[in-house]
Amino acid sequence: MNSIDQKLSEIKKNKKLGIMTHVVVGYPTLEKTVQIVKTMAECGADFVELQIPFSDPLADGPTIMKACEKSLNNGTKVRDCFKIAKDLSSQVSISLLFMAYYNTVFKYGIKQFIKDSKAAGISGLIVPDMSIDEEGNEKFYAYSKTFNLYNIQVISPASTEQRLRKNAKIAKGFVYCTARQGITGVKEELNPELSSYLKKVRSHFSIPLAVGFGISKKEHVKALKKHADIAVIGSAIINIINFSKPSEISKNVVQFMKNLDSK
Amino acid sequence: MKNKHQNNGHFGLYGGRYVPEMLIPALEELEKAYTVAKKDDSFQKEFTDLLNNFAGRPTPLVFAENLTKRLGGAKIYLKNEGANLTGAHKITHCIGQALVAKKIGKKRLIAETGAGQHGVATATVAAKLGFSCTVYMGEVDIQRQRQNVFLMEQLGATVVPVAFGSKTLKDAVNAAIKDWIENVKDTHYVLGSVVGPHPFPTMNRDFQSIVGREVKVQMKKREGKLPDYIIACVGGGSNAMGIFYEFIKSSTVTLIGVEAGGKGEKVGEHALRFKGGSVGIVEGYKSYFLQNKDGQLQKTYSISAGLDYPGIGPELANLHDLNRVEFVSSKDREALEAVRLLARTEGIIPALESAHAVAHAVKLAPKLSKHKIIVVNLSGRGDKDLFILAKAFNDKKFMKFLKEYTQ
Repeated sequence: MNSIDQKLSEIKKNKKLGIMTHVVVGYPTLEKTVQIVKTMAECGADFVELQIPFSDPLADGPTIMKACEKSLNNGTKVRDCFKIAKDLSSQVSISLLFMAYYNTVFKYGIKQFIKDSKAAGISGLIVPDMSIDEEGNEKFYAYSKTFNLYNIQVISPASTEQRLRKNAKIAKGFVYCTARQGITGVKEELNPELSSYLKKVRSHFSIPLAVGFGISKKEHVKALKKHADIAVIGSAIINIINFSKPSEISKNVVQFMKNLDSK
Repeated sequence: MKNKHQNNGHFGLYGGRYVPEMLIPALEELEKAYTVAKKDDSFQKEFTDLLNNFAGRPTPLVFAENLTKRLGGAKIYLKNEGANLTGAHKITHCIGQALVAKKIGKKRLIAETGAGQHGVATATVAAKLGFSCTVYMGEVDIQRQRQNVFLMEQLGATVVPVAFGSKTLKDAVNAAIKDWIENVKDTHYVLGSVVGPHPFPTMNRDFQSIVGREVKVQMKKREGKLPDYIIACVGGGSNAMGIFYEFIKSSTVTLIGVEAGGKGEKVGEHALRFKGGSVGIVEGYKSYFLQNKDGQLQKTYSISAGLDYPGIGPELANLHDLNRVEFVSSKDREALEAVRLLARTEGIIPALESAHAVAHAVKLAPKLSKHKIIVVNLSGRGDKDLFILAKAFNDKKFMKFLKEYTQ
């Protein structure tokens, strides 16, 4: 069984909204990344995306882009990400996923990347620029299946019925729905058409729905509860890190995550 | 020689459409509209009319008689794309794309630019065809091409400085893609080269292929035969694919792409994608990129902003692997010498990008017999490089003028 399934059934059993948080590995430092993820686990995160920093992160807004840049300037290597994943997976009971851009996977070697991810305790991969249409050349989904790693598909409000069907066929674990057509980053208001969009997505997917992009406060999380299974919080936490003194990052992340709790 | 395996935007192993799902519908829409337009007589008529009666096609094929004599070898012809409105070949694919964008109801054009040529061309076409326009340009490039920023603004475009990454062309592409993701409903992204996700490499190549077709006709008329060599500079590769495409199947024509050798061999001193790079997938397409072991793009450098780019068009990557296009390089210094030489011998000041191609012709021509013919694609004219040239040539009078002018 994949640990994502385990988490999903826990979420279902407890009738709660699952929480997936996000870090850029090596931002602000590798040591801090480990500490932040542990804090997230203690605060009730069910899943954590470990983003492997990339020089040209196409789908990311300024917040995550700058974090990637900083991490790379610190000298973070892909192998550091595997090492951190391995360290963390033996210390926390939450599901760890890699978020990466496809060039990182491709350069490492597709099969090797997937194999090593599994060995490092990773449960799923979010690779937004790996397109289903390129599977014939890449065998990314095929290898993911071989090594029991869930490929998390990312879809958007612009996705057509045809694309939703295509993604539904290949998606594993849960489907990541971007709350709006756009790049990552904090927004004040949620997309007003969110509920009809998610309804449309539900009609195509039998797996749970995660919603991210712009989720940054209690009201957002509360509003999502009715329509989604998992809330994804990315840039908002990086903002917390940005505004915190190094010694206060953990404390502030705890505070932020407590505030999100809509119970 | 064949250039097979072209389907769904794949050229052999390269190309494709590696983008987040949220861009797929826009690319599918664009591909569909372009496929229809390609076969539509009224579209072709409108395109041709704008090329001829707005942009100034056909551009002349100039016999470089003085240069030929001086070098004492092969005959050199110059395809002067600098004679286009806005001073480079770029306007051709801008017109083509804007017409497709109109068909699918877009109101706004966005573009990236390196040297500023593609930005100026997009802003020009936007003004002419009634689009609003935003151009992304790296801060480093703005510093070296300020006058093009001014021109774009005069044409009604908003120029957005890109302050992340290496602050050059690749980062401008990233910024434009992000804008497109956010505003895909009413916006068309006029990608300025034969790079990016499908259908851009195919579509831009098709639009630009008029360059090669004109050369073929002009050459037949002048010499009664095909050229033996065609030389073009290669950043992303739009001018190169434009002039090469018509001749790919003509095996007697040697096709040579010239990359930017910059100022040295070290990482960050050049833009030699084949020699220094490896296969990767960035900005939506698979090709050769200058990148490190982890797949992070590396810094590139060239005196010409248009060649200062870590990737190369996927079709050119395939033609490289098939040994159909030979790749060489010219250094900054050689390009600068070529500017001077062409100005004095032929009365044409080429863009620094195009001067890389001229520099290679200067090396090649003396080694060939007088019966051989070389065509050099002068992708643009050198007016835009005024400030860089004056500085590189250490023109004290010009520097003094600049200083006094601003006081």
